[in-house]
Amino acid sequence: MTTTLNRAAKPAAIKPKPTWKQRLSVFDVKASPYLYVAPFFILFALVGLFPLVYTFVVSLFDWHLLKGQGDFVGLQNFAEVLQDRFFWNSLFNTVSIFLLSAIPQLAVALFLAAMLDQNLRARTFWRMSVLLPYVVTPVAVAMIFTNMFGEQYGLINNVLGNFGLDPVMWKSETLPSHIAIATMVNWRWTGYNALILLAAMQAVPRDLYESAALDGAGAVRRFFSITLPSIRPTMVFVVITSTIGGLQIFTEPRLFDPATAGGSQRQFQTTVLYLWEMAFQRQNFGKASTIAWLLFLIIVLFGVINYLISRRIATADAAKPSRAARRRAERTTR
Amino acid sequence: MKFARHTAAAIAGAAALALMATGCSSSKEQAASADNPVELTVTTFGTFGYDDLYGEYEQANPGVKIKATNIDRGANARTDAFTKLAAGSGLSDVVAIEEGWLGSIMEVSDQFVDLNEHGAADIKDNWVDWKFKQGTDPDGRVIGYGTDIGPQGLCYNGKLFEAAGLPKDRESVAKLFGGEDATWETYFKLGEQYKAATGKAWYDQSGFVWNSMVNQMEEGYYTKDGELNVDGNAEMKAKFELLAAGTAAGLSANQTQWDWGNGKAFTDGSFATFVCPGWMLGTIKGQLESAGGGADSGWDFADVFPGGASNWGGAFLSVPKTSEHPAEAAKLAAWLTAPEQQVKQSAAANNFPSTLKAQEKLVADATPNVLFNNAPTGVILANRAKGVVAQFKGPDDSVIQENVFGPAMKMLDGGTAGADKAWSEALALLNDLVVNN
Repeated sequence: MTTTLNRAAKPAAIKPKPTWKQRLSVFDVKASPYLYVAPFFILFALVGLFPLVYTFVVSLFDWHLLKGQGDFVGLQNFAEVLQDRFFWNSLFNTVSIFLLSAIPQLAVALFLAAMLDQNLRARTFWRMSVLLPYVVTPVAVAMIFTNMFGEQYGLINNVLGNFGLDPVMWKSETLPSHIAIATMVNWRWTGYNALILLAAMQAVPRDLYESAALDGAGAVRRFFSITLPSIRPTMVFVVITSTIGGLQIFTEPRLFDPATAGGSQRQFQTTVLYLWEMAFQRQNFGKASTIAWLLFLIIVLFGVINYLISRRIATADAAKPSRAARRRAERTTR
Repeated sequence: MKFARHTAAAIAGAAALALMATGCSSSKEQAASADNPVELTVTTFGTFGYDDLYGEYEQANPGVKIKATNIDRGANARTDAFTKLAAGSGLSDVVAIEEGWLGSIMEVSDQFVDLNEHGAADIKDNWVDWKFKQGTDPDGRVIGYGTDIGPQGLCYNGKLFEAAGLPKDRESVAKLFGGEDATWETYFKLGEQYKAATGKAWYDQSGFVWNSMVNQMEEGYYTKDGELNVDGNAEMKAKFELLAAGTAAGLSANQTQWDWGNGKAFTDGSFATFVCPGWMLGTIKGQLESAGGGADSGWDFADVFPGGASNWGGAFLSVPKTSEHPAEAAKLAAWLTAPEQQVKQSAAANNFPSTLKAQEKLVADATPNVLFNNAPTGVILANRAKGVVAQFKGPDDSVIQENVFGPAMKMLDGGTAGADKAWSEALALLNDLVVNN
């Protein structure tokens, strides 16, 4: 025992100095992951974080587009924008257009995805076709639709006129203009969302459908009881992305009436469009930055709400009873 | 750390060198030649009529290459110029500026090259004096050479006039509206007569009529001293009410400005008269082309304007300080706005030149304008330019025209508000957008 102990003690006492190569490999293991993710974070700091912070700084000043930085005004810009009737009008328009586009869009995308999930001939052709509107640039889409929705010379009102119906005031009335813009958004995004939902649907185990069919469940029942619950996480993703996109809508309302910033009486002026008017027509950069920040906060708020909802859905998925319920159950069985 | 400091020093050194290098090149600018090619960028808007002139200049000045951009309309050119001014880069070597937003530009006139350094004083007598003065800032720096001015005549559709039992030829029409004593009251009265006879509208929309009325006043949205001049301006309000009454009587076709259903409104008889500053003739030409209309659509141009002489719009060519070739750019701007070229520009774009010699040439030639029933538009515009007084344009002039009175005019056109409501809406907008901005 003693001999062995002695023998063992000697080499253990002098720990060999790690070679350069060894140290490098330790460093590699410890630091490499950070280096690999670093490009994203450096880029984000440059093009995301810095503008965010700088925008906030600008929002604290009187800042003229051409004349540049003026006096420090603290949070006065925020106070003024929050009392600005046009700001609230723009928020109303944004949410209204968002709801008018998101809800029908999701419903149609679900239906399309379910259809594409069937055994179709020339599957790839159909799947690619629904993505086609997404490929076309939004500016082109907006120009074509703007033409169609013209009040006096537009295609749609012409057709309505042929049936002896009154023309719809697509650009001077609030609700019709929102519907028209939502149509453009839907045209562009429905196919895209359908494909994402389709991908999720294809991940649903086929044997579930087979056993349900054996149990006598019809196609509709299978859709609502198997497909929908299985793709819930993807649905949440689609809802979140379309919320963020919907709150930032700009191109479509901007081009719907190129002569004004969202309608002559701001019928369809969205928040981003108001920001644009503030910066480049009213030339008030300070307030424009304020609007940008408020919009950022609103989107974060929507994001948090979405997150909470999605967490609830996730727990509902597992159908786990709460801890208290489990204890109660244990007690009763005892 | 040491390494980092060295690199930083090296980068700083290189940057300083680069700055010095660029600094040198701009102060000792070499004239363009075949050995020293220079590319000049030019940004214009609307129907400007420069396309052929660029090629001519390139031929006469070897080594110069012109890269031109044309923006569809003035309001978009304004956004483009403002954005690039704010960013501090991106402006062309030569930028066209519209009279309506010249007031904003004047606030930052130090961002533009003083053309006096490039011989503006030698050619200043080329222009009608008020045009040259408009392009000069309060410190006496010349920041823009005038291209065209916008004296207003009356466009009317002879065919529609005839069908409504009104005279058709230019002279009788001018007399009908009152000749030298033409008033807006007569204009609206004739409109009501026309409406009663045909059931159709008299003018395309209220906005342009309003712009004409305001531009005609001695002081517009601002006083000569630069004070806002809208609230409590009885003369302006009276004009507003006059226009509102006409529109309420159905005289407006409620067309969309700058769109007109892609020009169809000019060919389908939607309206019979149109307020026409010189450059508008070019706009109408473009609209007729896009709608497939030609000389047979009946448009004509009368030597008369309600309320007397009026000038709406006109442009300037400026050279921003950011230009890398200010001397070459100034040379090009001076050449483009010289009388000989203004005559050619006028022929291409139908606008009216701002230099005296070019105006004289147009009058002497008296070229008939085929599209406007062979009216000698140059001669008529020269007559209409008599008695024009330059109006002071304040910093927010174009915002007031587009964003304050634009919506009010649309309310009148759409029939959603009467004169009082629309006027108070305009005042509220003025308060929100300009006074408390």
